[in-house]
Amino acid sequence: MLPDEADLPSADEPLDDADIGLLAEIRDMFAAADPMPAELPDRIRFFLAFRDLEVEVAQLTAEQDELAVAARGTEQSRTITFDSETLTIMIRVDGNKDGTVRVDGWLAPAQRREIEMKCAADPLSVTSDEQGRFAFPRVPRGTAQLVVRPAGPGETGRSVVTPALII
Amino acid sequence: MDNRRTVTVQPSRLDRGTRVARLLSAARQGSEDALGQIVTELSPLLWQVARAAGLSAGDAEDVLQTVWLRLVAHLDGIHDSAALTGWLVTTTRREAWRVRAAGRRQVLADHEVLDELPASGPGSEEQVIVDDERRLLWATIGRLSARCQELLRIIAFAPRPDYSAVAAALGMPVSSIGPTRGRCLAKLRALLADELGENPR
Repeated sequence: MLPDEADLPSADEPLDDADIGLLAEIRDMFAAADPMPAELPDRIRFFLAFRDLEVEVAQLTAEQDELAVAARGTEQSRTITFDSETLTIMIRVDGNKDGTVRVDGWLAPAQRREIEMKCAADPLSVTSDEQGRFAFPRVPRGTAQLVVRPAGPGETGRSVVTPALII
Repeated sequence: MDNRRTVTVQPSRLDRGTRVARLLSAARQGSEDALGQIVTELSPLLWQVARAAGLSAGDAEDVLQTVWLRLVAHLDGIHDSAALTGWLVTTTRREAWRVRAAGRRQVLADHEVLDELPASGPGSEEQVIVDDERRLLWATIGRLSARCQELLRIIAFAPRPDYSAVAAALGMPVSSIGPTRGRCLAKLRALLADELGENPR
């Protein structure tokens, strides 16, 4: 039995609950059949955040793991070097007892810069000293990324970002 | 017209419009966070726009990145949610066509997406019914014109108050007075009613 023609919905009527329900079903189907990669918005946000900075992207040029004998026992320590056109960033990552990591870094040529660590928690920010040294004593494990900016409003120097890495 | 079936506009939807307008205003003033919230909220819609245009997943990602970057340059002319959604859908579709015309990758045929639908495994009776309904809906959508399929796929991911703007962006304008059903949904419902009438469960 075909439904009465008069009961069929017309194109000119406002959306009703049945339409909304159908659209929700359609959305669920396509979200399941062809999902957007979950991390895509974050990748776009990161890309946009650096769009109009004079930004250099540093390349990871060296990475080595070594067993450091510390007072509290043998620990894995990683040294990672990033190079950009104007700056070399070297960091050393050591595990803390509480499960976080300590990141010590050096900039070459040595200079005062504001250094931001984008990490699993809120971003951390420190300033390097005249020798180009900086340290983040406690950083949560996970994805991390460094942004090296001019030390202050009046300072010059281009911003440099490193690729994201897992620490 | 049967007004009893009319959906009233909920305050939360008005709030969304206000919220998006505020985010746009903040983004114009350089707020990365406001821009980021807009990106997170509307990227799933643009993903479907790009994929419905036949782009590979990799090309769709590139297109989204390009579109969002272009939005930043156009923020000054966009002040409300409908204008934003309409502009994004139009620009994504155009950019997707441009990339496709460049012929960089293979077109994903609609039936391939269909094949990707998860097959119904053993499950509760309720789940089986849901799967049956879904399969019927899926098959019925497949009987609509390509333009209607695209419209419904995209509209389904759009904020409801912006339906009219999205339909217009897709070249299928509906009444500017308020979101009407439009002929694609009307046709889908007629087909579904037909199916259910002929094959009563």
